[in-house]
Amino acid sequence: MASDLVATADKALAQEMGLDERSIERRRRLVGLGPDDSKRIAAFREVILPRVDEYATLFFNFLAEAEGARDFMRNRDLVEQARRLKVEHLVAMVSGDYGVEYALQRLRLARLYGRASLEERVFMAAFNHLLRAMGGAAFRAAPEPELGFENFLSLQKVAFLDLGLMVDVMVAERERLIIRQQEAIRELTTPVLQIRDRLLMLPIIGMIDTHRARLLTEHLLHAIRANRAKVVVMDVTGVLAVDTKVANHLLQTVAAARLMGATVIVTGLSSEVSMTLVNLGVDLAGLQTIGDLQGGIEEAERMIGYEVFHRDARSPAPPALSRSI
Amino acid sequence: MSVPILRHGNVLVASIQVAQTDDELLQLSDRLTDMIGKTRARGVVIDVTALDVLDSFATRTLRGIAYGSRLRGARTVVVGIQPDVAFAMVQLGLDLGAVSTALDLDDAVAELDRPAKEAGSR
Repeated sequence: MASDLVATADKALAQEMGLDERSIERRRRLVGLGPDDSKRIAAFREVILPRVDEYATLFFNFLAEAEGARDFMRNRDLVEQARRLKVEHLVAMVSGDYGVEYALQRLRLARLYGRASLEERVFMAAFNHLLRAMGGAAFRAAPEPELGFENFLSLQKVAFLDLGLMVDVMVAERERLIIRQQEAIRELTTPVLQIRDRLLMLPIIGMIDTHRARLLTEHLLHAIRANRAKVVVMDVTGVLAVDTKVANHLLQTVAAARLMGATVIVTGLSSEVSMTLVNLGVDLAGLQTIGDLQGGIEEAERMIGYEVFHRDARSPAPPALSRSI
Repeated sequence: MSVPILRHGNVLVASIQVAQTDDELLQLSDRLTDMIGKTRARGVVIDVTALDVLDSFATRTLRGIAYGSRLRGARTVVVGIQPDVAFAMVQLGLDLGAVSTALDLDDAVAELDRPAKEAGSR
């Protein structure tokens, strides 16, 4: 079951990277790998095949001593799996057939390295180490040095085809991780909370870019409708930097909410932020602002007709200091 | 199709159900100001819940209706602007000016019931 899942993930990634017979043909052309090379490799295959285990050991021994591969080597299961795939790889490297199947196999191994967060440069170094040993064998397999060098070059072409695939997969994996995290951040940071009947709160934390501002506005407008909100307190305490763009987004959100019949109170503009806004010359005349979140909520409650008493107090809490700029 | 104008107490309710041409909107404006005089209405509610587009002309006409009825002694509340419509309007820089807006009919009537001095202060 688990291996099925992995296989599906591999296929998805292959599709994402556009790995098909044609693109692999392009990759082969890029490194200059042709039928001649396959023929040469076939000629010295018998020298390599009996020693693939030895080469794999060489590769993993190198990793064991390398600085950036400690976490990877500590994971026994992964190493065992990687070792199996590596042996498979070495056999395939001298098979003379470098099509989709070959690329998929590279992909599997690269994903494994990616999951184990093996550093790329350490992997490169280990691969280079391995190649030196294998290349030497390929070189000596030829009857004369000139042919030996050709052998070596053919093997190197395959190696570079491999490297191209490996690096692409590792980069793609990392990009996917980044995209996933970005999505998670976006999801997390635009909650619209209801604090009372018809009173919503929208805490904004972190950077606002165009995309996020748009999402924010959309969330808010739909929430206004769904909760029949009359007043919204938008708290920007967590927004550390504000520029003209962000200020305009805020104004747009406020205007859109007003079109739907809701009032927006902005709270938590820090002194730095407000000074920036003044210096930028952003016109916030249409904005109702209150210093802190507490004041904003108190004012909002007042607007929709709530009066909050302390249990022991006889008189209502003093009215919030409110102002409009 | 012309927009039916219903009378509820001293409030006129015009619920726009299908997209209107510019001419039809102007007719609506004329009929409303006319009816305010005839029925001595104190408030006008224009319901745009069913509309998924409010262009610049519609916005301007709504503004015109509001100002016109103000002069005839009635306040206007626009009701039911959809989230996406509101967002698009803001993005396009369309503005309803001093026209009151409300989420739904309930809110609009409540808004009209507030004393005139207080209304529009927000």
